Amino acid sequence: MKREQVGPGGPAWHVDEAMSRRYADGSLPEPDAWSLEKHVEACGRCASAVSAAVRATGTAGPLLEDVRGALLRTVAEEAPGEGAGATERKRGAGARRSPLRPSAGRRGVAVRPASASLPGRLARTVWAAGPALRGAWGVALLVVCAGAVALAYGAGFLAARSVFFALAPVLPLAGVALSYGPYADPMYEISAAAPSGGLRLLLIRTTAVLGVSLPLLTAVGALLPAPPGVPGAAAWLLPGLALTVGTLALGSCTGCRTAGALVAAGWAFAVLLPAAAHAPNGAPTPAVLAEQLGRCVSGSAAQSGWAAAALCCAGLLALRRRAFDFAPDHGPGSYLNRLENS
Amino acid sequence: MSTISVNGLTVRHRRTVALDGVDLDFGPGVHGLLGPNGAGKTSLIRVLATVARPTGGRVELLGHALSGHRELSAARRRLGYLPQDFGYYPGFTVREFVGYVAWLKAMPGDIAGAAVERAVARVGLADRIDSKMRTLSGGMVRRAGIAQAIVNEPDVLLLDEPTAGLDPEQRVEFRSLLVELGHRTTVIVSTHLVEDVAVACTEVTLLASGRVAYRGTPASLATLGESDAGADLGGNPVERGYTAALRGHRAAVATTTGARR
Repeated sequence: MKREQVGPGGPAWHVDEAMSRRYADGSLPEPDAWSLEKHVEACGRCASAVSAAVRATGTAGPLLEDVRGALLRTVAEEAPGEGAGATERKRGAGARRSPLRPSAGRRGVAVRPASASLPGRLARTVWAAGPALRGAWGVALLVVCAGAVALAYGAGFLAARSVFFALAPVLPLAGVALSYGPYADPMYEISAAAPSGGLRLLLIRTTAVLGVSLPLLTAVGALLPAPPGVPGAAAWLLPGLALTVGTLALGSCTGCRTAGALVAAGWAFAVLLPAAAHAPNGAPTPAVLAEQLGRCVSGSAAQSGWAAAALCCAGLLALRRRAFDFAPDHGPGSYLNRLENS
Repeated sequence: MSTISVNGLTVRHRRTVALDGVDLDFGPGVHGLLGPNGAGKTSLIRVLATVARPTGGRVELLGHALSGHRELSAARRRLGYLPQDFGYYPGFTVREFVGYVAWLKAMPGDIAGAAVERAVARVGLADRIDSKMRTLSGGMVRRAGIAQAIVNEPDVLLLDEPTAGLDPEQRVEFRSLLVELGHRTTVIVSTHLVEDVAVACTEVTLLASGRVAYRGTPASLATLGESDAGADLGGNPVERGYTAALRGHRAAVATTTGARR
């Protein structure tokens, strides 16, 4: 039998009809089949002759079409970023080119790419919230919690609980201010051009901040020794929530960083100033601070007031939701001014 | 067919006018955006990227005016944006960084993973895909930035100074990527490097002081550079054309202003 000999002018032999027929029905001896396969890699004319003979056998043709159809479907489904229309067009093309398997295209349309399962989507969302929890705020939160516990038990500092409660409602605000906006988020400019940026991203990150800070701060508050008159460990939850939602609502006008600072200053004003005014020498004692905190958060009247405030702020935020559609372009030191001056 | 259409676009930052009644339209292909510093290139790209709100005028992206939240979201899914000065989370790997943008672009989770790998491979960072962003060189960070801009196979791709920080070889590779992308995507590239425009762009728009100073092709700009107006200027033909077009525009503006007085 002829052997493969590739000279400078190309192969010295070609596949004849009998040989391709025997190859197709499997009766060609193995070494000759290898020679043939090697040869058709380089010779287009013989390749199409062998291909025609193989298709004519009636067993390999459908198998090939099956593989081809499956491959085209996979490509169409995995093509990233294609709209449904483009995917459909590709599948249509696949079906047109597969006359032997007219059902391939229809089946392809029926098999929709399975959307991600709910746990998968949740995991991606939590991961996207991650940057809010990585930075300075996470460290600050842990330092305040650990510091409060250490002071209360190590140094016997009875006021730890009062001071801790004065600080607790403000900590989530810091988390919000440090996690969103052109100043705080290095990827803000990219997220502002994306459908999941804006208010949606802000709410996801705020939820992440609250999800970490509320349980942690409440648990630490409950661990601290409770002198009489200091509100219970859970009393700060509603004020903390109201201040956070208030920050978001105010942030629609001023940006979250300024809003966080304003709301925190407002809280300090409401708690510390009256306490300082009651104190004999200007420095509020723990007892006076505890009493003032109690006035601000204890009792059903105060708590319903905070709940109403949280609802009002949520309503305001819903009304102002479009303010987050574009990046802020005003104010000194805005992102753009920094760019144009650089 | 134009995918981007801009009418009477005005952008003002406090008292500075960045764009002054600009009319432009762009179709598929690679469009170079040239102009001196402060000409309004970044302002135009930020408006087209739906990041900045225009002060006045009308912007249509992919056939829809950016009138409401729904239109904005639809346009944002289909555009890619590389800011001039972009940030990243240093602890993220390249895969996480590009994957995060895929999530921001609301890509379904089951195709995002493959899309991320494809985008990273296209910018030649496949071997560093699991490296942390903070360990990358400046050129690699910029390539990761280009990868995040193309991860959703956008119909409109906006690149603000993409070649800054790339070495000459990477710039050559980047230009061939641009040409490839321009077959089906409307790519707008703002750049200072005239050779980027000469090699990769199908059309050129020259901005000066918030107005359109010149529109044409790299070839027509080069022709302008070879004419009398550019005869005494140094550099290659496209550079001469750039300077000639800029001077011509300034002279025309001065005449108009003078005539008004």
